[in-house]
Amino acid sequence: MASPNSFLRSTSFRLLAWYAVVFGASVAILFLIVYWITITALDDQLSDSVEREAEVLVELYRSRGFKSLVRAIELRMVELRPPRRYYLLQDAAGKRIAGNVPPMKPLEGERILPVSSLLADRSAKPDDPDDAFPIVAHGRQLENGGFLLVGESRYRAVTAREAIFRALAWGIAITVLLAAAGGAALGIGFLRRIEEINRTTRSIMDGDLGKRVPASGVGDEMDQLAVNLNAMLDRIQVLMESLKRVSDDIAHDLRTPLSRLRHNLEAARGRTPAGGDVVIEQSIAEVDAILETFSALLRISQIEAGARRAAFSDVSLGEIVSTVSEAYAPVAEDRGQRLKTALASVPPVHGDRELLTQMVANLIENPIRHCPAGVDITVGLAQEDGAPVLRVADTGPGIPAAEREKVFRRFYRLEASRTTPGSGLGLALVKAVADLHGASVELSDNQPGLRVTIRFPAPVAAHRRAPHAQR
Amino acid sequence: MRHALLRYLTKTFAACTLTRSAATMGPPMKILLIEDDPHTAAYVANGLREHGHVVDHSASGRDGLFLASAGGYDVMVIDRMLPGLDGLAIVKTIRAAGTRAPVLLLTTLGGVNDRVEGLEAGADDYLTKPFAFAELLARLNALARRPPIVDEATVLRVADLELDRLKRTVTRRGKRIELQPQEFRLLEYLMRNTGQVVTRTMLLEHVWEFHFDPHTSIVETHISRLRAKVDREFGEELIHTVRGSGYSLGVAQ
Repeated sequence: MASPNSFLRSTSFRLLAWYAVVFGASVAILFLIVYWITITALDDQLSDSVEREAEVLVELYRSRGFKSLVRAIELRMVELRPPRRYYLLQDAAGKRIAGNVPPMKPLEGERILPVSSLLADRSAKPDDPDDAFPIVAHGRQLENGGFLLVGESRYRAVTAREAIFRALAWGIAITVLLAAAGGAALGIGFLRRIEEINRTTRSIMDGDLGKRVPASGVGDEMDQLAVNLNAMLDRIQVLMESLKRVSDDIAHDLRTPLSRLRHNLEAARGRTPAGGDVVIEQSIAEVDAILETFSALLRISQIEAGARRAAFSDVSLGEIVSTVSEAYAPVAEDRGQRLKTALASVPPVHGDRELLTQMVANLIENPIRHCPAGVDITVGLAQEDGAPVLRVADTGPGIPAAEREKVFRRFYRLEASRTTPGSGLGLALVKAVADLHGASVELSDNQPGLRVTIRFPAPVAAHRRAPHAQR
Repeated sequence: MRHALLRYLTKTFAACTLTRSAATMGPPMKILLIEDDPHTAAYVANGLREHGHVVDHSASGRDGLFLASAGGYDVMVIDRMLPGLDGLAIVKTIRAAGTRAPVLLLTTLGGVNDRVEGLEAGADDYLTKPFAFAELLARLNALARRPPIVDEATVLRVADLELDRLKRTVTRRGKRIELQPQEFRLLEYLMRNTGQVVTRTMLLEHVWEFHFDPHTSIVETHISRLRAKVDREFGEELIHTVRGSGYSLGVAQ
């Protein structure tokens, strides 16, 4: 079930993408902080070292004189090792006495000098990597008007920065990769368990209330969810069972006295003074109507509970429709109506023959009972998009658009039909049976009259549901 | 006191009128009734006895099972909901023990699955409470007289009416009668139950396989069309209306 497409659309994929972004960003921030601290420390160290060297040289000049200073600088120039140091000693006239940096305007304190200021000097070799970096320089004015400059390449700081950036790039790449791999592994497992929950809820919606979500036993949040869902399902099952028990109790408790009433009336028949029998017959008919309403109500709630799905099999709608139409055609004819059928061959419906028969009968009885003489009633069976579609249309008065949805309610009766006998449960039962079969019911204008369209699911879908129903 | 007397008088009167009609119902049957509701039990048992049948009544499932196992009944009426041992379990048990007597299950539920469950357990018919007594009686008569001899016959004959089940033809006095398929099935069912009352519900169930109560007069309409074809031209009526019960096919007595 966890196809790549559904994975891309899944919550875990989005979570994973977010994790990768947030992880990447935090790794980048971490590296920037490290970079900043390292570079600052290296620069501070460099400044310190340059300043100390300048201090040492100034001290030397003060204690031993200018000559010693010149010698010391020349000596240092000889034993130069990387990182390379830069020196400049000028006299008061601005002439260079010693050093490897071209003469410049005297400056005081620290300064960062570009490489170009060195390249002007012939002793500087352009291919020396040391010279490719800016230098940190420290200048001091001497008491005799001379100028001393000590400088050092920022080579270390720059290479450190490069190293840090390289590490940063690798770090982010590895983080994102790990987040993706871990997230995918996690997400697929997660998806599989979500799918299990979905499958369970689907089969519960199909009427198999006994189904439960499997728990992995790890005791994680998903397990907790499964446990909670199962507890909720247990509760729903208990409620539904008690609802069913209550309806059964009502049926039993109210139908029993009604049955006795009926028995008594039946027993009294033929034993009353003249004219009494008519009253008794009428009373029996009334009791029968009440009992009939009860049965219809119970039947609808039982159908809605989905208990019937266990007995589903492949049923031929064409057979049902032709049997029912044949049964009702003479009834319609006696009332001056015409019942016509237009049956195309349709794929079988996975369902309950008895209930489908009753549904078709209700649909055909409706216009027969509520339409005047002279109307045409057409029962059609067609295949549309591979799915069976049942249509019952009449040319009678029809139902106003505003009332079309309401007729599916229990006991709802149109103003016009209040005088005709009936419980107002006929279409409620049609709807319940259609829902049980996953079919849609639509009322529309037949211009004139009413058209009821029942669209069954395509047989493939019905077959896919079959294993759930049989379990 | 006056009340009791009145009741006695009406009862005797009823018994008289009923025994008269019982004559048309055939020989007496030995019936076992397992029903815990005393009112229903009395209603059923009294009615059956008034029709000349012998009724053994048991109010509990356990006693009922004991009686049923002893055997010797033509037909059994068993309530589905019984204290202790329920009706379905009784039917399953006696069927497992090899008792073949037909069983009619009674239920208050009228539930959508109950009929199928009852038939699967081994019951032969099923009736939802409340029922008209005539309905129960007609069904018991049909059950008790259901030996499969009639099922084997390819040609059914009642007086001068003949129905060939293989050729699917109907003739009366040698004259061919054209019937619609459903009219044929209706006549076939009536002829297979010749001399017995078949109710509207029995016809709906057996001819059309409708297990619900239609709100229009399907049965009446089809019967009247059948009559027009089978009876009208021939002077002698074979299809009779039994008031308050249903129909019966046979030579009038």
